[in-house]
Amino acid sequence: MDFSFFITQTISGLTMATLLFLVASGLTLIFGVGNVFNFAHGSFYMVGAYFGYQLVSIWELNFWVALILAGLGAGVVGMLAESLFLRRIYGRVNEGGFQILLTYCFILIIDDLVKLVWGTEYKSLPRPKGFSGALNFGDIYLPSYNLVIIAVGLIVVVASWWILTRTRPGKIARAAAVDREMVDTLGVNVPLTMTLVFGIATALGGMAGALAAPLRTVTPGAGVEVIIDSLIVVVLGGMGNFWGAWLGALLIGEVNAFAVAFLPKWASLFSFLVMVIVLIFKPEGLFSPRQVRKV
Amino acid sequence: MRNKRLFICFVVAILAFIVVPFCVNAEDKTIKIGALYPMTGRAGLYGKDSVAAAEMAIDEINSKGGVAGYKIDITFTDSKVKPAYAVRVAKRYITEDKVNFLFGVVSSGVGLAVTEISNQYKTIFVGTDHASTRLTVDNFQPYYFRVSNNTFQSMTAGALYLKELAETKPWKKIAFIGPDYAYGHSQWDEIRYNLDRYGVEYEVVGEYWPKIYAPDYTSYITSILKDKPDVLISGFWGGDTVAFIKQAQAYGLFKKTLYFHPDAGGNYELMSAMGAELPDGLVLGARHYNNWPETDRNRNFVQEFQKRTGRFPTYAAQGAYAGIYAIANAVKAVGNPDDTEALVKALEGLKISLPEDPEGFTSYIRPETHQITQVMAIGTTMANGDFPPAKKMLGNWKIYKAEDLVPPVEYLEEKRKK
Amino acid sequence: MNSGPKFSTAVLWTLMILGFALVPVLMRSSYQLNLASHVLVWGLFAVAFNMLWGVTGMLSFGQALYYGLGAYFVGLMVEYLGSAWYLPAIGIGMLAVAATSFLLGLLVIRVGGVYFTMLTLAFGQLAWQITFKWYDFTGGDDGIQGIAAPGFLQNPIAYYYFLLVLVMLSIWILKRMAYSPFGLMLRCVRQNPERVRFLGRRVRRNQLRVYMVSSLFAALAGSLMAGIDNSIHTDMFFWTTSGEVILMSVLGGLNQFFGPFVGAAVIIIIEDIVGAWTEYWSLIIGSIIMSMVILFPKGLVGELHQLKLRMMPPKERRSE
Repeated sequence: MDFSFFITQTISGLTMATLLFLVASGLTLIFGVGNVFNFAHGSFYMVGAYFGYQLVSIWELNFWVALILAGLGAGVVGMLAESLFLRRIYGRVNEGGFQILLTYCFILIIDDLVKLVWGTEYKSLPRPKGFSGALNFGDIYLPSYNLVIIAVGLIVVVASWWILTRTRPGKIARAAAVDREMVDTLGVNVPLTMTLVFGIATALGGMAGALAAPLRTVTPGAGVEVIIDSLIVVVLGGMGNFWGAWLGALLIGEVNAFAVAFLPKWASLFSFLVMVIVLIFKPEGLFSPRQVRKV
Repeated sequence: MRNKRLFICFVVAILAFIVVPFCVNAEDKTIKIGALYPMTGRAGLYGKDSVAAAEMAIDEINSKGGVAGYKIDITFTDSKVKPAYAVRVAKRYITEDKVNFLFGVVSSGVGLAVTEISNQYKTIFVGTDHASTRLTVDNFQPYYFRVSNNTFQSMTAGALYLKELAETKPWKKIAFIGPDYAYGHSQWDEIRYNLDRYGVEYEVVGEYWPKIYAPDYTSYITSILKDKPDVLISGFWGGDTVAFIKQAQAYGLFKKTLYFHPDAGGNYELMSAMGAELPDGLVLGARHYNNWPETDRNRNFVQEFQKRTGRFPTYAAQGAYAGIYAIANAVKAVGNPDDTEALVKALEGLKISLPEDPEGFTSYIRPETHQITQVMAIGTTMANGDFPPAKKMLGNWKIYKAEDLVPPVEYLEEKRKK
Repeated sequence: MNSGPKFSTAVLWTLMILGFALVPVLMRSSYQLNLASHVLVWGLFAVAFNMLWGVTGMLSFGQALYYGLGAYFVGLMVEYLGSAWYLPAIGIGMLAVAATSFLLGLLVIRVGGVYFTMLTLAFGQLAWQITFKWYDFTGGDDGIQGIAAPGFLQNPIAYYYFLLVLVMLSIWILKRMAYSPFGLMLRCVRQNPERVRFLGRRVRRNQLRVYMVSSLFAALAGSLMAGIDNSIHTDMFFWTTSGEVILMSVLGGLNQFFGPFVGAAVIIIIEDIVGAWTEYWSLIIGSIIMSMVILFPKGLVGELHQLKLRMMPPKERRSE
């Protein structure tokens, strides 16, 4: 295999990995950090994509502005869903099970709402002006938009890690997830914290949807397709570990990229195999210092 | 207390639904059709288009007084692309609603499950959009009829196109990319079968099998670029086509390789989704086109559909439209919708003029396979703003005669032997 | 978990068995038979699943693996060897599943919580991917049709009673297990595994046992399903199938033995009714289930049980 192909394949793996990470980042926040399993995370990703489509293709706003607005829009929807419905099941016996069931209902409802508003036709979002081409070094092609995505991925991972571990709001959010009552007695407004965390997580998901939309189709049902991959990335990296999620996504992306190059017939099996192997040998995640194996 | 009352009401409601029979307005003299289409998710577009077109056909027929004194009545249920659920609904249609015809489906997996039911209960099943050749060959049963073409026909046309192309723009190396399931694999198998059958020489430089609905094709695209095929044969459908083309475009793939997508590539949803972004020079085929043939029949069909729904149709619509007319013609020939065996005979010999028929040709059903036989066309993308929001449509058509697209006898025998 | 005074359980059992047994007699058309069959199979699958989660606290997102295996053993053997192999295939499938769940169990039970869940999900998806891809052998996305039951079982009513007997027997076995010392042990494992170890009992061994039991009955459910519609499909292995039993269990009540069964019945019936009525079934069903979740924190059966307690005089209540 020649060098230029190696570079190309590595970068294409990196693109896939970053998209995987960006979509999963919101789930890392709400599930890994917040301990709330949002099954409907993919639906917010889809909502973000549709908002992006509406803002750019119909209302013709600037792409980058639309990106932020789409994320915010998804965040608002998330906060509404959390404060009106999800909040009511906090503290219940078997809360985990109810989280799954209730957020599954979100998926059902959001799917139809999206269908009602935008219909079933496939929509597309073009790449922003100036980013539709590629940088060209001999045989190596690097589409500019892919580079933007990779950059955004790095920004998100650094920013999230820093905010969660180095700032006070981040620490409060992490504490509230571990022990709601305790943090409540410390005078923190726990319901508000939970709502905000949920909102930020769904905003991240929505923004990822809008960011990925120029490379994908905006279609109903997209939500259910991404949730499993996102879940895998969250767990592979270690719950709540943003760097871990990014690296886990990188592992999957690169394994896939090279499997496609050398074993195209079996490439689809590889991502599952990676997942299975990591989970068997290091289930707490690749990069978590925790030990979860029972002695 | 509130909970208790609510709960009891709820339980009573559920029981009532089970015990009280569904209120079916049984008018005398109706032809009852039970249709299954996906109405949610990725394939929802095809379901909605099929519903609209079927209703359009039914309104046309009923407004002229129906058929042989019967009006047509149709019920639609979302198949959810789940074979087990679709089978349940089909059984309900047959045993509770007493339909005369089963109708529809988009997914071949669902189609295969429903054709079993059709056979078991001896109820005619008119297939309108799924394309697996199995339904008319390997899994053929006498109560199944299909009014849209199957992958074998598209792939035969594709092979003929490639054969002609070699004479003007010689090509040698081919590669295939398609979703890793039956639909993708049968297209690849069938096009190679046909290339061999017509003695076309080719060299396979790669085969790529992303999983269906794969969000990212970048690694596949870079691999294809490395393998440098002259022709890339594609087997995607729907959103996967759109995503692949968008991602490949940035890599300049279409300048280096001919993108060839004969079965579902030319479907209108691609043009409507991508608008001006869609590159020129892609060679695509589909089961029906909004801008070909340029006959009055086709124009009226497309315009009527647009008036009803506010959008232009995908090819699923013409399939459903054809299905209704096929049923109407058969019932007219027999005189009533209940004599199933006579209806089967009527459908076997059916000749039916459809929007997709060019001048001088009428679609017909072949008795050996119950498959409709039609002219196929393959075109190239170019600018055309007549069908917004699409800005590109197909043109530069190459046409293939219906008789040339029929599977040869040896093929039928080999597959049915199993 | 309460079982209530003996007589009321017997009444419940009789009502349930009688209810299902009378369906072929009272039904309007074979559609109701089909519906009842689906309720029975999913009910068994969900109850078996809940032995893992509600009883032992192990949330497996991959039970569809065994459900699918059960179905595909029957489907493949009948397709390649003939319908005489139908009944043996059920048995062979269960044996294969026992072996598989033992080996897989050893791998997945090493961890708990969400990691266990993810690992079961991963294996389930791996199985799905393999079956889906192996088109030449399994038929992939086309599924397998024409699975004919042997001899007299071809009569749908006969098959229904065959199904009813097997399902009721299985549920009875599971119930006995849930209320046996083994079941008590499982509940202790759910609540406090450390303590169980301190008491000198093996946690993992018991978890492995219940994992195998749950998987065996999931496989039985799958095998029986193959004969209802005479066709099977790879989506039986897909994670959404594993998800369905989770939803059914939560809806019906995780801490009630019959909760998942009732959850299964409710979900299947609502799906059918709403699906027949509107294409926006997603919105309606989502709203209905959401209301049930918010209104019934103990699950449907749990709330029913509460109701029963409230209606009993205070004296008897204490024995609950």
